Amino acid sequence: MKIRVIKAYIYKELTELVRSRFIIMVFLLPSMILLLFGNGIRMEVSGARTLIVDHDRSPISYRLISKFEHSKYFNTQILPISEAEALGRIKQARTDVVIIIPESFEKRLLHGQTTQIGVFADAAFPSRGITMETYVKGVILDAASEFGHNQANGSITINQRTLFNQAMRDEDAIVPGLIGLVLLVAPAILAALLIVKEKERGTIFNFYASPLSKSEFLAAKLIPAFLLHSLNIFVVFLWAVYVFDVPFRGSFFLYWAASEIYLMISISIGMLISVITRTQIVAVVFTIIITIIPGFMYSGIIMPISSMSGMSQIEAHIFPVMYYNHIVYDVFLIGEGLESAKTLRYLLILLFYAIVLLSLGRLFLRKELK
Amino acid sequence: MDTLKIDRVSVRYHQHTAIRDASFSARAGEIIGFIGADGAGKSSLMHAIAGVGAFDGSIRFHNTLYRSPAEAEPIKSMTALMPQGIGLVLYDMLTVQEHLNFFADIRNINKDASFIAYQQRLLQMAGLEKFTDRRAGNLSGGMMQKLSLICTLLHRPKLLILDEPTTGVDPLSRIELWDILDQIRTQEGTIILVSTAYMQEAARMDRLLLFDEGEIIALGSTEELIDSVRPMTYVLSQQTDGITTRDATYSIKPLDFAHTEPTLEALFFVNALKKGRSLPPITLSTHHEDYVRDSVIMEARGLTKRFDGFIANDCVDIRLKRGEILGLLGANGAGKTTFIKMLLGLHPIDGGELELLGRLIQNTSDRQTLKASIGYVSQHFALYNDMTVRENLLYFAAMRSIPFEKAVDKTLLYATELGFDIYLDELPLNLPLGINQRFSLAAALLHDPVVLFLDEPTSGVDAIARAQFWQLLIALKEKWGISILITTHYMSEAEFCDRIVLLRDGKKVADDTLEELYALHPNAVNFEDIFLEYYR
Repeated sequence: MKIRVIKAYIYKELTELVRSRFIIMVFLLPSMILLLFGNGIRMEVSGARTLIVDHDRSPISYRLISKFEHSKYFNTQILPISEAEALGRIKQARTDVVIIIPESFEKRLLHGQTTQIGVFADAAFPSRGITMETYVKGVILDAASEFGHNQANGSITINQRTLFNQAMRDEDAIVPGLIGLVLLVAPAILAALLIVKEKERGTIFNFYASPLSKSEFLAAKLIPAFLLHSLNIFVVFLWAVYVFDVPFRGSFFLYWAASEIYLMISISIGMLISVITRTQIVAVVFTIIITIIPGFMYSGIIMPISSMSGMSQIEAHIFPVMYYNHIVYDVFLIGEGLESAKTLRYLLILLFYAIVLLSLGRLFLRKELK
Repeated sequence: MDTLKIDRVSVRYHQHTAIRDASFSARAGEIIGFIGADGAGKSSLMHAIAGVGAFDGSIRFHNTLYRSPAEAEPIKSMTALMPQGIGLVLYDMLTVQEHLNFFADIRNINKDASFIAYQQRLLQMAGLEKFTDRRAGNLSGGMMQKLSLICTLLHRPKLLILDEPTTGVDPLSRIELWDILDQIRTQEGTIILVSTAYMQEAARMDRLLLFDEGEIIALGSTEELIDSVRPMTYVLSQQTDGITTRDATYSIKPLDFAHTEPTLEALFFVNALKKGRSLPPITLSTHHEDYVRDSVIMEARGLTKRFDGFIANDCVDIRLKRGEILGLLGANGAGKTTFIKMLLGLHPIDGGELELLGRLIQNTSDRQTLKASIGYVSQHFALYNDMTVRENLLYFAAMRSIPFEKAVDKTLLYATELGFDIYLDELPLNLPLGINQRFSLAAALLHDPVVLFLDEPTSGVDAIARAQFWQLLIALKEKWGISILITTHYMSEAEFCDRIVLLRDGKKVADDTLEELYALHPNAVNFEDIFLEYYR
């Protein structure tokens, strides 16, 4: 390895990045993804437009209705209309949930008889529909237990407490996962471009026809991408902690070290893509496809890996995103750090990935025309 | 002993063989020229020798024998390759000085006093010493090529491989490039392999390799090669058997005419005859439409185009008459393409007046009505490679809203007259370049324009295709009375033009007929000399 050669290349790459203003993209892209997705993805439903048709108009039904009115999850409206009209409103997308309280609701309850409440939720988006349904159930059960409490003693009350994300904030659940996505996509694009740019332009001949070794060329191309995105590790951290108010409970050093290893993986993916592509546009599209999809699917943003099954479970274990995200979620929300054997194991797996992918790139990079 | 020995080298891409069993050798200080049409295998052989592409066979340079790019690694500190294409190895964003630093660093050259002096000398030879702070992207084509050359010379290579370093470069820069090469080879004993499309340059080589369809078909000094075709070269005649160009007739069958002195171009014509590769003749019928021979088709008065910071065209006056071929010549960046683009309305006019077909151009509606009378062929023929020739022509006719039946008839007529009727249902990619040129012209002629604008149509085209293209242009002028405005950087093509306008730095420096220009410059042997008179 000739340090001078690598230095010359790095200086050249940085000069080109600055003069072509591509450097703006290097720092804009990760922050943009984080801000757009961090603010844009919402799993919880709040302010669901709820239409309540109360045929009973009794103290108990009012009490039930007031429970809905006081919840931030519902935006309640009480109308004296028929059931058919109410359902018509769901169809016209003027309301999301319809709750129908039948006549003699209170009377039957007081007599200890079974009674029913009609709940209709718009499930055009299934997950949203299920969520709204669950919320409604929760409110009704809550009201029922209160009511039961007054009636007789000894029924079960639930004393629940959520851990790690007590406030159940979406930001806490999503933003750490996004870091895994951002640090996969952006460095891979930059690394792929740095090599493919020379292929497309023709300047790759300077490498082909000179005594430069393959390792030197790779080092010269990957180090700038690595250094620039190392800064982004800090930038996205600041966004997460100070803009999205995600708690940080673990060791910063672990976060940093794991992220640097993860960076090596993503720039190696970019480098492997640059081996098979010839034009910048193809390289970018290809990189986005093969990084964003696994980065999103297996980041745990949409669905925890543990609840995946079969093929998707296997795929999740093949893509390195899962291992990194486990560590990121740990340092942000839990703080176990290396005391957890799993975290340590995942860190070693990441390191293994980095070494294997780098070696593959070195193996497949050709120093000749195709 | 030969320093470089190429032994039965072949390069294959998938099924296609780019070069087959090439063998030759070279001594230190020798310049060897590679000549031949595009796709004849010159670049592939150069890549093999430079160790940047896989090949079969073996190459020995000094004491290193190599059969693959990996085995060629040891020689790369002694060699340099300049691939085909202007400024291909340069980084647009870096300055001239940054390039020199970068190439010195990646070649690990010791930056001592002698290197600094050498670098300074190279900069002076290239005339770039005043431009060390300028970015490569802002250099002219000629300057880019000179910078590329001195960058490859920094480590004093013993084997220099240059793939068409002068194509598209203006004559003055070409001369400067050659001066650098001559100095380097005498001082450093460098072997130089160089391919070129300019036959005047080929004559400067020690030896020439003639490439054709993936084979080296002739090897020797310029004199030897010219001697080999002398028996087939005759004075100009109306013989239909062989190939007739502007100044000679070539035939492999003995003819009853006197012989004439062949040029290097004759090699290509004789080779085409030997391989039976002559194209169908062009048989244009005369249009009997009446026209006033000297009527003015296009008149530019003080046409000016400014880009931020510089003036691309500065008060240019040009007049094009009916049935005239006007050649617009000039170095790279002299403003030729800008001028054509203003004529076509692709650039807004910043000053002056333009009159087309007797009508003053003031707005886009003026242009719209004139579109029907103008034909344009761009530098890269705008053909669709996945449609057949016929489909291409019908498509272009439809674009010009020519009724379908008329378009079908016209396509057939032009195909017959321009001699490509047997190729109508082929895809352009499978056809010889000469045929593609003919049908591109046919596409531009479908709507019966009275004037054709051609922007460097012959750039990167081999000698035979160029000669035939000019025959066609002259026939169009004579038989159909079409006026042609053409830009070219081949000075030899000026000889075909009726009138020549020479641009320099956006200004018109000459505007005369060829005879008048020769009369003004009695010492000039060819048009290149006249060109240089204006540029020195």
